[in-house]
Amino acid sequence: METPGHKARPNSRGWRRGKTRGASNPRRPESDPGPHLGWGSNPDSSPSSGSSLRPRPHPHPDQEPSLDPGPYQDTGRDSEPSPDLDFGTDPDPISSPGPDSGPDSGPGPGPGPGTGRDPGPGPGPGPGQAPGMLRDETLDGATVPSLWRGSLEIRSEPKICQTASISTSEDACQAREQVDAEVQTDPPCPVALRYASQQDIPGLASFLRRVENLIIRELDKNWQSHAFDGFEVNWTEQQQTVICQHTLCYPLAQAQKLQVTSVSWNATGSVVACSYGRLDDGDWSMEKSFVCTWNLDRRGLNPRQPCAVVEVPSSVMCLAFHPAQPSHIAGGLYSGEVVVWDMSRPQDPLLWRTGMTDDTHTDPVYQVAWLPEPRHSHRFRLLSVSTDGKVLLWQAAGSGQLQLTEGFALVVQQIPRNTKLKKPTRGETEVGVTALAFSSFDPSLFILGTEGGFPLKCSTAVEVAALTRMPSSLPLRAPAQFTFSPHGGPIYSVSCSPFHRNLFLSAGTDGHIHLYSMLQAQPLTSLQLSHKYLFSVRWSPVRPLVFAAASGEGDIQLFDLRKSSQKPTVSIKQTPDESPVYCLEFNLQQTQLLAAGDAKGVVKIWQLSTEFTEQAPRETEDLDQLATEVAS
Amino acid sequence: MAEVEETLKRIQNHKGVIGTMVVNAEGIPIRTTLDNSTTVQYAGLLHQLTMKAKSTVRDIDPQNDLTFLRIRSKKHEVMVAPDTLLGLGLDYGWICAGATCPELCSTLNM
Repeated sequence: METPGHKARPNSRGWRRGKTRGASNPRRPESDPGPHLGWGSNPDSSPSSGSSLRPRPHPHPDQEPSLDPGPYQDTGRDSEPSPDLDFGTDPDPISSPGPDSGPDSGPGPGPGPGTGRDPGPGPGPGPGQAPGMLRDETLDGATVPSLWRGSLEIRSEPKICQTASISTSEDACQAREQVDAEVQTDPPCPVALRYASQQDIPGLASFLRRVENLIIRELDKNWQSHAFDGFEVNWTEQQQTVICQHTLCYPLAQAQKLQVTSVSWNATGSVVACSYGRLDDGDWSMEKSFVCTWNLDRRGLNPRQPCAVVEVPSSVMCLAFHPAQPSHIAGGLYSGEVVVWDMSRPQDPLLWRTGMTDDTHTDPVYQVAWLPEPRHSHRFRLLSVSTDGKVLLWQAAGSGQLQLTEGFALVVQQIPRNTKLKKPTRGETEVGVTALAFSSFDPSLFILGTEGGFPLKCSTAVEVAALTRMPSSLPLRAPAQFTFSPHGGPIYSVSCSPFHRNLFLSAGTDGHIHLYSMLQAQPLTSLQLSHKYLFSVRWSPVRPLVFAAASGEGDIQLFDLRKSSQKPTVSIKQTPDESPVYCLEFNLQQTQLLAAGDAKGVVKIWQLSTEFTEQAPRETEDLDQLATEVAS
Repeated sequence: MAEVEETLKRIQNHKGVIGTMVVNAEGIPIRTTLDNSTTVQYAGLLHQLTMKAKSTVRDIDPQNDLTFLRIRSKKHEVMVAPDTLLGLGLDYGWICAGATCPELCSTLNM
């Protein structure tokens, strides 16, 4: 019960005195809100007693029956009549009808517990508080007057202080006289050359007299001596022979009798990739094939277990690693698609593909190559050639698709007629392209090897439209500018010299290698290497006069034009049973390595002797000389 | 004095000679036509090598003696003429060394 005069204030426990009038107690739905809060008062009797601490009006007797003493009183009321629970005589110590106790003296209103307690003692004992029973009481919250505000005020005191005044004064000065002076150190006298004192001089003179003739004689002898003529010393360790460093194979592919169709070294020179497929299939091949990579610099290299294998639904005919990205590799398929894989993602290596659209080749893709973009030389586009006569340039677009950016088509009618060629058979308009090589000096110039056996000099910068009826989303152009005199059969490989801008080699099924200069149609020289086909020819990346050729007789022939232009310097036997070697590639970073793949499904890494890896003096000039003297 | 300088000049101006230097028994250069650091380097190294060569020849045959030492390298040839009195415990002894570079000479046409 509140004392009169208490202000309504949320006490420290957060209660607010008194519920809203009229709010029903959920537990006793018919009851009035809490007399435990001290409200016992009749809501009707004092409408203005909404404020919590109005002094409780004395419950009117006539209204008392309507008062519901509230939940806490009921029990009291009910149980009070029992004489056992007669606490009435004593003021309940718990709920003394003190100033703050709620309506105490339960029997206040008539039906109180028969304690006879008067609702008297306190100021307006509210109804329904049973004496002695647990009573609800509201206590005023303990309040602690805040000190901080006061204390601040108490503690603060203004103070002023001021420094003693600082005296300042200004002065100026100026030099009236000026003097310039320079300083320089003397150079230190040389340590060792303290010229000897006089006593050395007599000995010196006589010594020199003795020695002078000897020295002059020896110096003269030097000029006349032939002792060191032709004496060339090479202090690095010489490797005399070619050895096979690794023999790599993939047993699963070998079990399917697949052949190695192409090898490629990656941009760092440490990973070699090979593609398995079939080169002697004439029909549409439905065989699955594999692309396998081995990392040769890794320890524990297992030659029969590739580091990464990609299974491809169609036969892969050619491979080319990206020149800058060590893990991207492009492949051309038998179905005419061009695909790029990322070998660093073993779960999903497929990066981009052309898909089978109108733009893709309709024949097997025989060569792919990465070409730097003309303006952004760090970005590369992919070029593919196929026997359907198209040369297509692809660019990686988003969503894994390769998009056609430029296209060329070779049509028989548009071949330059500077060489006499066989008349094409009727109905044949496309010129099948089987080999491609880019010039290292001019990135827009490339050489194509054709099925007809004649190399073509082409350029990406032509504007002439091709007279072809092949469907294509982009207009196709005719790139051929010059025709060279043909081989006796289709050309399988061309290679442009990295040291001379006009020389290139071509190898074909007639077993001959032709060395051409781009300036004339006739080959400069023609070498017969094999009685079977020649599948691949490559210039050496370090020695201008050396090239290697892979033959159908199972050996790799290395030519050094410096030593002999007629027969190979070294002939490496790759396969024991003369099954053909299909592809070979030099490693551009580790220039002594040569990778070659054969029909048995084996890739052999050959380590060349030093004579093939070190450039002899003046070799480039010799190459130039060869080019010019044979041409004339 | 003038004789010393003249002799040295004659040797230095011979065809193909790059530099000349005279070193005393302790390995200290006395006269040189090369720059300071090269002189000091050559003097120290050649002195030791010459002593070693001389002792080798002597050890093989005590009646024998080193008359001339030539070191032919890729770029130069160093020629050392030791004094016959060198290393005998006397406090004078000399080495005269010259470096020649055969290819260079042909172009310089000295």
